[in-house]
Amino acid sequence: MADSGAQKSRPIRCLVVDDERMNREVVIANLRAAGYETVAAEDGQQAWLTANAAPDDFDVILLDRRMPRMDGMELLAKLKGDDRLRHIPVIMQTAQASAEDVVEGIKAGVYYYLAKPLDRKLLLSVTAAAIEEHQRFLRLRDDVARRTTAIILMDEGVFRFRTLAEANNLAVSLARACPRSSHLVVGLSEIFTNAIEHGNLGITFEEKAQLLAEKRWRKQVDALLDAPQNRDKRVTVTFRRLACEVRITVRDEGKGFDWRRYMELDQARAFAVHGRGIAMARQLSFDSLEYQDPGNQVTCVIRVGDGDLAGQPCGALSVAEEAPRSAAVAALAGAAPAAANDEMAVARSMQAELLPPQAELAWLARRYGVHVTGFFETSCSLGGDIWGLDPLDDHRFILWLADFSGHGVTAALNTFRLHTLLEHTTEDRDRPAVFLSELNQRLIGLLPKGQYATMLYGVVDVRERRFTYAAAAAPRPVVAIPGQPAVPGDGSGLPLGVARSALYVERSLDLPPGSVLFLASDALPESPSETGKKLGQGGVADLVAEVVSARAGQVDVDAILAPFLATVARPLRDDLTAVCCRMAD
Amino acid sequence: MKYEITDDETGPTLMLRDQLTFADREVFDNVIDKLLARQRRVVAVDLSALDYMDSAGLGMLLTLRDRAERVGADVVLRRPRSEVRELLVLACFDTLFKIEHG
Repeated sequence: MADSGAQKSRPIRCLVVDDERMNREVVIANLRAAGYETVAAEDGQQAWLTANAAPDDFDVILLDRRMPRMDGMELLAKLKGDDRLRHIPVIMQTAQASAEDVVEGIKAGVYYYLAKPLDRKLLLSVTAAAIEEHQRFLRLRDDVARRTTAIILMDEGVFRFRTLAEANNLAVSLARACPRSSHLVVGLSEIFTNAIEHGNLGITFEEKAQLLAEKRWRKQVDALLDAPQNRDKRVTVTFRRLACEVRITVRDEGKGFDWRRYMELDQARAFAVHGRGIAMARQLSFDSLEYQDPGNQVTCVIRVGDGDLAGQPCGALSVAEEAPRSAAVAALAGAAPAAANDEMAVARSMQAELLPPQAELAWLARRYGVHVTGFFETSCSLGGDIWGLDPLDDHRFILWLADFSGHGVTAALNTFRLHTLLEHTTEDRDRPAVFLSELNQRLIGLLPKGQYATMLYGVVDVRERRFTYAAAAAPRPVVAIPGQPAVPGDGSGLPLGVARSALYVERSLDLPPGSVLFLASDALPESPSETGKKLGQGGVADLVAEVVSARAGQVDVDAILAPFLATVARPLRDDLTAVCCRMAD
Repeated sequence: MKYEITDDETGPTLMLRDQLTFADREVFDNVIDKLLARQRRVVAVDLSALDYMDSAGLGMLLTLRDRAERVGADVVLRRPRSEVRELLVLACFDTLFKIEHG
């Protein structure tokens, strides 16, 4: 385990706060098995006393939301209000996480929200990410503390840098010139890094998520920095100390970006396991961030606290200073769009990872002779749809598609829940009606009131040439053979997560040689075209039959959806997911 | 969504018009408050003038049902038409609600 440069002598330590002994012990056992030290507290009050007595002793706090005496939110507020403790990442755990709870927690500074029952793998990966961020914070803080320089006397200055190393170096120096420098350095380092990679080098947020996932990010940045078109690009930083605040303006040579689009996406932080530095920085570092069009310039504002320059008039001076160029300036208290977007990209890629990868589809084609293609497009940045498949034996595989009510973060959280549930439900997988009933029972405990899922779950049997399925208020599955009208199935059934007593019916469709089985979420029948027309259930069956006839042996999901996508407005009003299975001739 | 609430001897009736979709969640929550504040045993929802409902609309009806259940009231859905009716059939809502056709 990596030790922090700041505290080489101390092992990594987690504070686990939960009033229920069983829960506490499960978490502690998992963390100890991963090599961390743990300290337990039975409620918020006890946790507060423990943390307060030894503020430098902890790298992460795992906190139950509901507890007697002092509950999780109350403790969180106290921690975030204390300069010695606010940098410790807090992972909140709760059994009943409504979207409002999650958003409230994030706004209050929660690093990550974990739903109970506990997912061991997720617990460990989130904890590891939180610790890593905290260690990075400690290292940077240490650098700041060591640097004694006359820069503290600086009132105004202009700096230029090109590389990541220069960026970090400057962040440490400038932070030193400000109040609360140890908190500031992480934020400055993030903003400077953004200016290089997204600004000067033009790496998109999606590309960065991809590069991070492939562990190629640093290498790619170095390669791009050396490219002829980038060699002369610099990031310019101006530092100004005003009466009541310090303003650090960062300008890159990139094209900028549409920062307004990212103002409301901070809910997505609930998902990002990695790349949390910016979120932490934003909470810890700046009083506000002001982006200027076209988005390649941002000003970080750090208010000078009471102790620093007490009694000096605030406001008037800085407003006058900034007035000439402020037409498009928006003060975004505590919001860093680049940060939110970065994490959104990570969340998106996490969600995409839930879907069957190309390699698995290729393998499926070889094993079963079934050509499967899938389509997934969300209306918001995150979707409430998910589909999947899994082999059962040498002639059968399961295929399913689910759609959670609502859009965005709430619905997306539920897709993660479902994915986990399905991975842990191994019985009766070949009996669709029984399986759906069981899944329904489990979801009832997990889904907040008013949220539910529609789902089609079935078994493709290539020997019997049959699709046996059960449905929970899903759009009809459709089977089509070239030159014939499509055969629609029946998707009726109670939605999942609504009634404990729900029972499902087993149905089946024949899959003759060369036939196509097509599943889609309700965005396909329900989305109006630009002229206001909807396909409807019948229209979907006709569309599939038409394309299958026209393309015969070559049909895939993109071919089937192409006529629909050509007429509908983007972004879609609802998440669209579709799967096309083409049987061997 | 447009709505009006009328009262007669059997209890309140919520008349829904146009569409019931994702965008109506907040308004619908307030409407539920108003309906349940009347403290009657039966709450009726007249769907005869509702042209379209999406999956979020189903969720809102479920929320109404849950909250009514908690105060001991039944929800009756009346006269759903065309697409709305199809959606209720698809979701087997007849097993959750009393649905009056005709």
